[in-house]
Amino acid sequence: MNNRIRELRARDNITQDQLALAVGVRRETIVFLEKNKYNPSLKLAHDIAKYFGLPIEEVFLFNEV
Amino acid sequence: MKKSYLVFIVATLVLISAILWFYNSGTSFKILDNLHLVVIFVVVFFAVFIGVRRFTSERRGEPSEDELSKKIMQKASSASYYISLYLWLLLMYIADKGKYETDVLFGSGILGMALIFFLTWVFFYFRGLRNE
Repeated sequence: MNNRIRELRARDNITQDQLALAVGVRRETIVFLEKNKYNPSLKLAHDIAKYFGLPIEEVFLFNEV
Repeated sequence: MKKSYLVFIVATLVLISAILWFYNSGTSFKILDNLHLVVIFVVVFFAVFIGVRRFTSERRGEPSEDELSKKIMQKASSASYYISLYLWLLLMYIADKGKYETDVLFGSGILGMALIFFLTWVFFYFRGLRNE
């Protein structure tokens, strides 16, 4: 699973700290997400997508094998 | 008092006490002779490190723990438990040979478990938890 968090942050000019505070996680978790080193829970994925005003499937991209 | 402050304060006090005790004992330091002491230092440093991480997160207004840190802890705990079984198997084999006292072997087992937990935590922290 990949995601567009870095791209969306750049679009909205938001720092990792701001996003972390908005969705209630540590900045480190956002770093891990952007590096694709962590798959978030459904709740966190929902919160991040809601923050950017997009559906989950437009933020988190599933690679179908 | 918040949990992170307590962990940080206790770990720091233990570390300072250990350093002062070792400094005042006046013994020369050889790593092989003081292997247990080295492992204790590693474990306490780890506790201080975790405490500092939680403390800095709280100061920034972030939660001291979140889903990623909890999952890394859980994963490290389960993996280190599994690996520790082999450590105890090895210690049982050494005990059978009768070279060391039982209390030394127990101490080695406990410290070994702590060290294994530290190493597995570091492993999962740098590798991440993708596709699990």
